Amino acid sequence: MRLRFQVTRRLEPSASMVFFVSVLSLLLAFLVSGLLFAFLGISPLEAYRVFWRGAFGSLYALSETVKRMIPLAIIGAGLAVSFQASVWNIGAEGQMLIGAIVGTWVALFSPLPPSLLLPAMFILGFLGGALWGAFAAWCRNRLAINEIITTLMLNYVAANLVLYLILGPWKGKTVRGFAYTDPFPQEAWLATIGTTRVPLMTFLFAFLAALFCYFLLTKTTFGFELRVVGRGEKAAHLAGIPAQRVVALVLFLSGGLAGIAGVGEVSGIHHMLRHPAHISLGYGFTAIIVAWIARANPLGVLASAFLFGALMSGQDALKVAFGIPFQVMYILNGLVLLFLIASEQLLYYRVTLRVAPWGEKEDEYDRVLD
Amino acid sequence: MKRFAVGVLLVFLLCFGFVALGNTQETKIKAGFIYVGPIGDFGWSYAHDQARRIVDDTYPWLETVYVEAVPEGEVEGVIDRLINQEGVDIVVTTSFGFMDGTFSAAQRYPDKIFFHCSGFKRAPNMATYMADFHQVYYLNGVIAGALTKTGKLGYVGAFPIPELKRHINAFALGARRVNPNAEVLVRWLQTSWYDPAGAKEAAESLIAEGVDVLAFTEDSPTVVQVAAEHGLPSFGHYSPMYKFAPNFVASGQLVHWEAIYFDFFAKVYAGLYTPKNLGNVDYWWLLREGAVELGADFGMPINPVFEDQLKSTIVNDPVYGEISVYDLVFALLKAMADPEYAFSPFTGPIRDRKGHLRVPEGVRLTMDELITMEWAAEGIVGAWPGEPE
Repeated sequence: MRLRFQVTRRLEPSASMVFFVSVLSLLLAFLVSGLLFAFLGISPLEAYRVFWRGAFGSLYALSETVKRMIPLAIIGAGLAVSFQASVWNIGAEGQMLIGAIVGTWVALFSPLPPSLLLPAMFILGFLGGALWGAFAAWCRNRLAINEIITTLMLNYVAANLVLYLILGPWKGKTVRGFAYTDPFPQEAWLATIGTTRVPLMTFLFAFLAALFCYFLLTKTTFGFELRVVGRGEKAAHLAGIPAQRVVALVLFLSGGLAGIAGVGEVSGIHHMLRHPAHISLGYGFTAIIVAWIARANPLGVLASAFLFGALMSGQDALKVAFGIPFQVMYILNGLVLLFLIASEQLLYYRVTLRVAPWGEKEDEYDRVLD
Repeated sequence: MKRFAVGVLLVFLLCFGFVALGNTQETKIKAGFIYVGPIGDFGWSYAHDQARRIVDDTYPWLETVYVEAVPEGEVEGVIDRLINQEGVDIVVTTSFGFMDGTFSAAQRYPDKIFFHCSGFKRAPNMATYMADFHQVYYLNGVIAGALTKTGKLGYVGAFPIPELKRHINAFALGARRVNPNAEVLVRWLQTSWYDPAGAKEAAESLIAEGVDVLAFTEDSPTVVQVAAEHGLPSFGHYSPMYKFAPNFVASGQLVHWEAIYFDFFAKVYAGLYTPKNLGNVDYWWLLREGAVELGADFGMPINPVFEDQLKSTIVNDPVYGEISVYDLVFALLKAMADPEYAFSPFTGPIRDRKGHLRVPEGVRLTMDELITMEWAAEGIVGAWPGEPE
């Protein structure tokens, strides 16, 4: 007789299970972060308190959280759709920057009347990001190049395009030679909610994007086709579903939403085009995780985007309160991710401890985890 | 379902428990510093943070906090947190890119004091400051002009902005004072103020073109290290870089931001500076005020390794006559640091590299002309974005 762990597979984890395990893994991540703080000579309890107050503790804290949540949610909704189709769009960062570029062009250089600036920025910004994404679809469909590679590499192309513009043709007249464009005219600024810095319009967009993508996935034929393609392209083909068209549309949509997020950042936060690393705080990459943690459910994305917005904003509060090295924030993010990813196993496999007689034949999972 | 509910309840209880923990109040003056880079960069942000520590240690009534690596678009949020969460009275923002955010925060917090480095927007509660290196670069140029054998000096610059153009011009003017045929080959990174990889590439390519002395503006010691690998002298930037290559850092530019901070904070403490009267307060501090220093390390204007060579290099100077470069450097240093400000590197006649007379004979450039400088001095080779026709 001996004790052994037995691992059995769960077919479909329940919603409460997903929630409970996710929260548990977050708490564990915070517990381990506490050790890190103790190591840095900061009371973990004090650190938790600052983090909580900094992310949720006041209207201001919430507004800072929501400010970060907006681009994550808009991009994340599109990525959720794309991941449901097993199209791995890693290029939201670049698609977002293209949106920012197009929006900047409209704001600074288009001949449009002031009242049309904002609508045009968002529409053309969407198209810019969408076409940037669709280019990767074209590469995949016509040239059989994996979209992970193209979307990833196009991020760098987009970032360098921003650099070229702010250092070259679009460098502002009023910025003393620094690498920025001139500020946008006031008509191209998004109105913010009250005294916060949360732009009202993109805040609404975040919810609209989630609802639209959810509706698209669950209530339309296209959503069904898309999910079939996601489960198996061959099966989709046999069922007469044009997989290539689905791939193209999915990248068009997720790229376009990222483009809208990019316009939102330049017209809502910066009011100019500046260094790509300052326009986007890695939103395009973080949104991948946001969509993944929401298990590619666009409504779930709202929750996970809020969570990551809170992480970013709480970490700001930590930086301000303790003057800790900014790299510590990367460790904190890493811990959260590590625990969330590790918890995945707990969702799909049940681990039980049981007494097994000697000589019992080991099954597959036993061998793995004995 | 019951377990689920208990779990949710636990989470919330835990979280609110932390909020309930205590809160402390401070009575002295509290200043919050916001840096664009990491304080470990050995460049700009590092130098500001060193100064912050010095004033914090010296003034018992001053408490400071800092936030590093703040993205430019986030500065307003960080200011909000510093004021509301940490209760600071003075906000110090140390990057040009923070200007608009700081200015807008200054409007929203009329009772707080804002101190912005390197910008030009001021308000009744927002002053500006800068410690400028153009005099020190001129002296570095004099030394470099004497050390070069190929007559080619290399300069790695982060961005082609007036500040760097002014510094490179000063460097070239200094070099040509002792070596009339010296050239300064320029490479722009145009990526980031902190770009060790780009700086290494630029330095290597300059060396490949025959450059044998290097100076730079970038926030890491990379250029100093690359030069040392090739056995070439270089000039440290912002912080003492002697320790990175003790045999090769000839001199460099050192900053004493604390000189400005001492003055500013003391005047706030004494009630001379209030949130109502800062509209015209603009520090433009140089050698005279002790805000900058010539040196490979603090107290080491010229690395002893290069002393003999500089002492034995005799030039015929238009002002000082027959003089060793070593003595010339100190004579010029004395003239520039003197309270009467006896000498400026930008004293006419100076022509740009296209032949236009930029500073007429007997004229000295004003501060406004210095901070908007776009032209390139004679002897500068390479791209010069924004160069006037």
